[in-house]
Amino acid sequence: MTRVLHTELRRSAAIGTTAILAVIGTLLIYFVEQIYFADGWMQLAMTMRLYLALLFPLALTAGAWQARREQRAMVAELFSTTPRPRAQRALPVALAMALAVVAGYLAVGLAGAAWIVGTARYLPAAAFAAAGVGLLALVAAVWLGLAAGRLLPSPVTAPLLGVAGLASLLLIPGATRPRGWLALLLSPIAEMNVPGPFQTVPGLASAAQALWLTGLAGTAILLLISTGWRLRVAAVLPVALGLALGVMVMPHESRIVHDAIDPVAKELVCTGDEPRVCLSRVHAGLLDEVTGPAREALSVLSTVAGAPQQVHEDTSTYSPDVFPPRHTDVVLADIAVGPDARLQNSDDMVANILFNALSNPGSCEKDSGRPDAMAAAFWLLGREPAVPGELGQEAVDESKVLWRALRRLPADEAAARVAAMRTAATNCAVTDGTLLGGGRP
Amino acid sequence: MRWTVLYLRSRYAPAALAASAASVAGCWILWSLSSGSRDVDVRMVVLTVLIAVAALTATLGGPDDELDHTGALPWRPRRAVHLAVALLVVAAPLLATLVTGARFGPSGLVIRDTAGLLGLTALSATVLGPARAWFLPLGWTLGAILFPHTEQALGRVLTWQSQAPDDTAAGTTAAAITMTGLIAWSRWGPARRVSV
Repeated sequence: MTRVLHTELRRSAAIGTTAILAVIGTLLIYFVEQIYFADGWMQLAMTMRLYLALLFPLALTAGAWQARREQRAMVAELFSTTPRPRAQRALPVALAMALAVVAGYLAVGLAGAAWIVGTARYLPAAAFAAAGVGLLALVAAVWLGLAAGRLLPSPVTAPLLGVAGLASLLLIPGATRPRGWLALLLSPIAEMNVPGPFQTVPGLASAAQALWLTGLAGTAILLLISTGWRLRVAAVLPVALGLALGVMVMPHESRIVHDAIDPVAKELVCTGDEPRVCLSRVHAGLLDEVTGPAREALSVLSTVAGAPQQVHEDTSTYSPDVFPPRHTDVVLADIAVGPDARLQNSDDMVANILFNALSNPGSCEKDSGRPDAMAAAFWLLGREPAVPGELGQEAVDESKVLWRALRRLPADEAAARVAAMRTAATNCAVTDGTLLGGGRP
Repeated sequence: MRWTVLYLRSRYAPAALAASAASVAGCWILWSLSSGSRDVDVRMVVLTVLIAVAALTATLGGPDDELDHTGALPWRPRRAVHLAVALLVVAAPLLATLVTGARFGPSGLVIRDTAGLLGLTALSATVLGPARAWFLPLGWTLGAILFPHTEQALGRVLTWQSQAPDDTAAGTTAAAITMTGLIAWSRWGPARRVSV
């Protein structure tokens, strides 16, 4: 078996398949849109799943192409006279092609891993489950391709199968609406787009997908080794069973993955020494980069009465809204990971933390008084408000006016007003005019 | 006439024409049954063109291209005519659907994509041989359908198949590919001595 597998690995389309999947997959995760996997390993697993949109049809095509090898070499008739069971001839090829797609997919994973290995720390089991489902999807696809190529030995089968595979992936969400869970079960690419930093794929969802894909792969293998109609009819069983089990296991809700948050990824990892700077577990690799600006911001703030002593990452997630608890001695920092897997807003980090310390946290009902907070933050920094950040240009202009007015005040007075901003911020009480009182100057 | 019949037979034309027509008919039926809209989704149109062209790929070579090559015949004009007829075979039924209940349009896109994909297939056949000639058109077009980029010129060139019919960058790309494929395949014919 090892020897024939070795031969098949070299004499089948295995090597070409691996190369094509690896190259195309790598191009897709890096260049098709922005890099979605800078946050960490879970995001890489999900991004690779998303681009199965193309790799899945290609695996189908590769299988169907391989299935016609003997016809292309004009030895199909000769080989059919071999006094060997069909399964014995088909299985080494199937195994070789499965190894090929697994190697191709893993190569894409390695290419992605090289980008984030410096900063990604948190590697949850769910990431392995998501990647495993992706592998299973490719194996099922390449075996389905082999089976289809064997049952319909025409030169058009392979391209047709690729087109049909892509079309079905595109049609599944529409065809199953409003049952989003069914789309998630059937399509390995469903809900994998633009993963957030704390996103996860629930274990039940991965388990249900694995059951369905295993059924699909089983059907493909039965069709591949079948020689008569009995086995071909029996081949319906695995896929039907897989579908039934998958439907039973999958939670019947919509947005199962989109709304899934990994609480462990959100847990804070802190620096050992004071003043403490804490980032979420998923961003823990950025701690070295964040600590410097964070401590600088704390030291700038230390002149203000009621200044915070710690910087924590803002781990808010929305719909459903979950905010970090409010502490008076903690200021939140917005952490954004850039496409290079490093801290994106490192230049604005100090201003961002000062701004957050002086404005209402996200968990407050009101987000008013933002130009005031901006003006106060830049007064502490001693320069003109310049960073637009998430504020619009209009708000920045407004904050510049406030900043100038604040500078005209005596230093004691201005410091007292900034301290009042901080007190208001810890009580969700910052409004337009908190800084300089009354109406706008 | 006799030569034409023999040529078509040696290029598997009956099976290829049947497959091409069947794929267009299949897509037409699929859309008519599944959608209430008369205008077919542009991705479906591109996929239909892709299958129809892929079905004709087999006609780009014969059972023994070495032997053909030794024939003292003016192959170049014949191959060029072959490609022109293939363009008609794919585009004509799709353009005919514009008067039916499921319209595979717009016509500019159908003609651009048919010509471009045929050119790409012909170019691949010159380099890789007819058996593998659909690899590149298939992979490229599936990618272009999934991830169409419309902002930058480079994106529109790289995903020319799925751009709007009046897009200059996509049209130029398709025209360049068509001409390259036409010239290369007419000049050299299918690649010979490729392993299976």
